[in-house]
Amino acid sequence: MSQVYKRELVFIVTGVVALVMMLDYFFGKNIPGLSGSGGIAGQLQTWALIIQLMAIGLGAINLIQVHYRQISRKTDMAIYSIIFMVFFAFLLLLGLYKLFTGVELYPYTWVFANVYTSLGTTLYAITGFFVFSAAYRAFRARNVDAAILLIGGCFVLLANAPIGEVLWSGFPLIGNWFNNVGQIPGMRAFTVVGALGLLAYGFRALIGKEKGFYSEAS
Amino acid sequence: MSGQTIWDKLARMDRRVFYWILFICLTVPYMTPLGLPITVTPSTRSYYDGLKTIQPGEVVLLSINSGVSAWGDCLPAMVASVYQVHEQGGKLIVWSIGYNDCDITWARIKTLLATNVFTDWVEGEDYVYFGYCPGQETNVALLRDNIRGVYTKDVRGVATDDIPLMEDINDASKIKFVMSSDTGDAQIYYIRQWKNGPVNYVGSGQPPLVAEMGIAMNKSGDMVYYLSGDEFGLVAGSRGAAELEALVGLKGNATITMDSISVSHVLLVLAIILANVGMFATRGQKK
Repeated sequence: MSQVYKRELVFIVTGVVALVMMLDYFFGKNIPGLSGSGGIAGQLQTWALIIQLMAIGLGAINLIQVHYRQISRKTDMAIYSIIFMVFFAFLLLLGLYKLFTGVELYPYTWVFANVYTSLGTTLYAITGFFVFSAAYRAFRARNVDAAILLIGGCFVLLANAPIGEVLWSGFPLIGNWFNNVGQIPGMRAFTVVGALGLLAYGFRALIGKEKGFYSEAS
Repeated sequence: MSGQTIWDKLARMDRRVFYWILFICLTVPYMTPLGLPITVTPSTRSYYDGLKTIQPGEVVLLSINSGVSAWGDCLPAMVASVYQVHEQGGKLIVWSIGYNDCDITWARIKTLLATNVFTDWVEGEDYVYFGYCPGQETNVALLRDNIRGVYTKDVRGVATDDIPLMEDINDASKIKFVMSSDTGDAQIYYIRQWKNGPVNYVGSGQPPLVAEMGIAMNKSGDMVYYLSGDEFGLVAGSRGAAELEALVGLKGNATITMDSISVSHVLLVLAIILANVGMFATRGQKK
């Protein structure tokens, strides 16, 4: 199969799928055999789901390849790759054991409850420390725009904290105004413009003009 | 250096000093709780009012689209919501389209509500947990028309056809509303594919409504959907969760963390003020 033929085939498949999905969304009920679980659109969505499931497996294989390369080249990061490989093998074995026997071994739940959960919540929590340090170093009112942003931010912060309304009843009023009124036009503009961009992308995919996903972005 | 002013020294202060200041200040409210009052915002009130409309036997969906890293912001609202669904006599379907660590989150919710919800709730009859399925918006679109097409069995391995709760439920129309716990934009998938996708709706009833309980960062984006009526309620971050806890009468982790939120936010504002005073104080010297 020539490269050109392969490329054209991808564009045709993409265009047809995009057309089916658009017809499904807007006219699905009126076109027999298109919507619902047995319809063409439903089948395509199921395929998409299966492809995404396969992508998870591919991601795992890719991870092993990347870390194996790090270990074989004995780079500075090799120690982390070894730790990854050990944990990967450990959890894979425990997971497979659960899959085939239906029995969840204690180490499997222990790792999730005492390692994964703790690391996950810690990672999120320590951003607070970085924000505090960054607030002191970077949040400077160097011009009028920055000053407005800072003042607005301080009001929103104090509106979000119960102590804000204890200090002054105006903090929640003004802070919530920023949240519920002040920022809304901007966010609506982002939302609508984003939707229009998505529509344009879908249309370009439909007519075979969108080639970024076929490594032709350049 | 001898010519350094206090502002210069403060500007060059090691960041670890800030970390320690914050850490020490955060420990204080845990030892001596302040117990400051919390005013309920309209968006949380709307969420709670939505929960109160659940009639006995009605089915609602909890979509866990937040990972364990966001427990601080998202978990308390989920706990309070499940508690209120139980109080109303409702039934619950739980799944995740966003995070494959949802099993841990659901286990945690069950642990926290072990004594007041899961003592009389029977799995398969009052609630069912399907776990994680990838696919994001595509998955939500599929689930709208055919739940069994995606989830053939629950996490226990029981076939969906054999689960009493799922007997008459195979599409979104049988679900009263969606409670989506998010760190991203999964709630928008439900709005697009379930609530606002009726042109293609194969279900017999009305499309379900959508409510959001996400991280605080999501609030600005979600407020657009809340004000437009696409979300009937919005619980934003641990602050929103504390408001919800107050409304449902179940004081939990969000209420406990409110004092720390107060301390950290005040410190943040003080840091900003101090930094800017320093900047203005040293501006003339530099010139």
